[in-house]
Amino acid sequence: MRNSRSSRSPRISRSPRRAVTAAALAAALLGLSACGGGDDGGSADASGKVEGEITFQTWNLKANFKSYFEGLIDDFEKKYPDAKVKWVDQPGEGYADKISADAAAGTLPDVVNVSPDLVAPLAKAGLALDLDKSAGKYEKEYLPGAWKSHQVPGLEGTYAFPWYLNTGPLFYNKRLFEDAGLDADKPPKTFDELFTDAEELAKKSKGKVATLANVPTIEDFGRYGVPLMNKEGTGFTFNDAKGVELLTKYKELYDAKALDGQALTATPESTGKKFLTEAVAMNPGSALDLEKFKKDAPRLYENIGITPQISNTGKDNMYVMGVMVNTRTKRTPAAVAFAHYVTDAQRQMSFAKKVAIFPSTKGSLDDPYFTKADGTDETRVRIAAAKSLKTAVNYTPVLFSEQMKVELRNAVARALQGKQSPEEALDNAVKACDRLLKQS
Amino acid sequence: MKSTAAASAPATAGAPGPSGPGRPSGPADTAAPPPRRIRRQLVTSPWLFAAPGLAIVGVFILYPFVSTVINSFTDKRQLIEGKYVGLANFRELLHDDMFWIGLRNSTLYVLVVVPALVVLPLLLALLVQKQIPGITFFRSAFYTPVVASIVVVGLIWVWMLDERGLVNAVLEAVGAGKVGFLSDQWLLLFSAMAVTVWKGLGYYMIIYLAALANVPRELHEAAAVDGAGPIRRFVSVTVPAVRSTMVLVAALSSVAAFKVFSEVYLMAGPTGGPAGEDTTLVMLVQRTGTGLTGRVGYASAISVVIFVVTVALMLLVLRADRKEDK
Repeated sequence: MRNSRSSRSPRISRSPRRAVTAAALAAALLGLSACGGGDDGGSADASGKVEGEITFQTWNLKANFKSYFEGLIDDFEKKYPDAKVKWVDQPGEGYADKISADAAAGTLPDVVNVSPDLVAPLAKAGLALDLDKSAGKYEKEYLPGAWKSHQVPGLEGTYAFPWYLNTGPLFYNKRLFEDAGLDADKPPKTFDELFTDAEELAKKSKGKVATLANVPTIEDFGRYGVPLMNKEGTGFTFNDAKGVELLTKYKELYDAKALDGQALTATPESTGKKFLTEAVAMNPGSALDLEKFKKDAPRLYENIGITPQISNTGKDNMYVMGVMVNTRTKRTPAAVAFAHYVTDAQRQMSFAKKVAIFPSTKGSLDDPYFTKADGTDETRVRIAAAKSLKTAVNYTPVLFSEQMKVELRNAVARALQGKQSPEEALDNAVKACDRLLKQS
Repeated sequence: MKSTAAASAPATAGAPGPSGPGRPSGPADTAAPPPRRIRRQLVTSPWLFAAPGLAIVGVFILYPFVSTVINSFTDKRQLIEGKYVGLANFRELLHDDMFWIGLRNSTLYVLVVVPALVVLPLLLALLVQKQIPGITFFRSAFYTPVVASIVVVGLIWVWMLDERGLVNAVLEAVGAGKVGFLSDQWLLLFSAMAVTVWKGLGYYMIIYLAALANVPRELHEAAAVDGAGPIRRFVSVTVPAVRSTMVLVAALSSVAAFKVFSEVYLMAGPTGGPAGEDTTLVMLVQRTGTGLTGRVGYASAISVVIFVVTVALMLLVLRADRKEDK
């Protein structure tokens, strides 16, 4: 059969076969070429002349701060006439994926805006420059906690310049507190007070008003005083007795409807909306939110209360942004100089006056801008946040990846639904996170 | 099969062959082979015409596919080249609860959504097929969800199904009480299925409208003369006449349903509903394989499973069709 067919039309039968072979070969070659990787690139020595073109990537900042960054780049280029900076901005959504794709393709920009959890895998892959070695002289310019925030357990060194910090107060709805017979001028400060008030609010409103719209995150565990990770950075520990205690309390809140019914699937956007529509009584936020309340929910704005974050440790949570230098840059001196320039005290202070962020440089938080009240709510929030930042901690371990966040969140949801005991759920979450840590 | 038969039919009927029009024909022509240059052109020209398409297929379909299969046997991560680990990823899948949840949800999606998308658009097509004043408006209205962005559609449904949304407000007004459409794992999944069906109705309705236009009117008339009522005519005339279209719709919708992502992601959130219980397989691929610490090898193994199941679904539908033919 095969012979007769081939004798009838030898060309026709052979060509597709050849084409398939060629396509398979091409695919294999493409695969091999993808494995080839890029050039190992530059040196870690930042002491040379600041010159050449570098690329600087920011994280969703162009839309609102175009003129600020253009001015900053112009100033840098004036200071170093032989250097040129090309600025690229990436959208917030999928930022990690963009960095990941660039890193894999060998096209990661020279200077990149990162957060600690992004810098950890990049440092592990040898793509983030160790600043202790290349730019250690600048360390003294920054708050010690901020400088350390880009250190990765298991690795020696610091992998990004600290940039701006952020923290926020807890907003609460005074009217809802008063309706429940609570003293609106005495909002909860500790978790125990929070749990008591939340249960009272739910009871008085017959389950119609929840106090919180979100399940506890790793930061909540941190602020409750739960040890999150061992000192070696080789395993998670948030399943200890204190962690179980926190989750048990949340389970009680959930059963009492003091936690919003949709908390298990909540996102920061949805919790914000719940607070805006007065469906929940408390929500974390920042100074930026006040404008939103004023514009979108005037009734809420009239009744807005501002209180520090709930904490049993006395230390608030803070978020840190950083600027890292790609180890493969061909212009290490220019890249390090620019990363430092973006994050130095003068530039950070000027950026902080444009948007509600806080500088990570020493002494900046003592500027009258962060200490002197002018009677407005915005300034009150800013002063309170700046004060709390002096002792604030970035509770999220740098090795706590997005996948780990999902594992914890799902474990919390299982415990709240009663499918697993808080202890069992947290044990499983720690097991899953440890497995992911080993695989990373 | 039909297309092969159709393509070979003109050749057997003596239509001009590859030598083309204008070329003298006769006994001498069939005896003497064409010159080498022309023979070469006959071979190379089709490939040249097909080259752009083949290049696109190669780069955007074949290469990613081969690459995914290769990666599924490695422990590759986003920033770290992997090494060969054999079937380890597939073995891990067997012990991964989230994989089984994903497989369960994707399979449920097929079992619920496909029958709905095979039957409901047909009924809708029969409805809007009628030539009555204003029917064009309804046709357009039913088709509108198809052209609407899935993100917009998803957000609108989230607002409507929220505890304080329109649907719950209506339910409360009639005394039925609030329903946790977005907080209960099953209600959430079925709400997402409802959105998929609602969004797909118009698309498959158009396909059915085209098929219904080809059903000979005489068949209906003959059945009516024989005393068949509307239901009998639907079962005995309409359904057999559009059966091949129903198979097509079943094949298309089953593949789409098994690979569902957007609706569930938008409604259940990035964690895949409460405790991840609404996660589908494609959501699991996205969650596992993306980000700087993404496990590309493991995500690829899940993708290979999706591919195998999808092919199996297609074969199942085609087999069912062939059985019916016999």
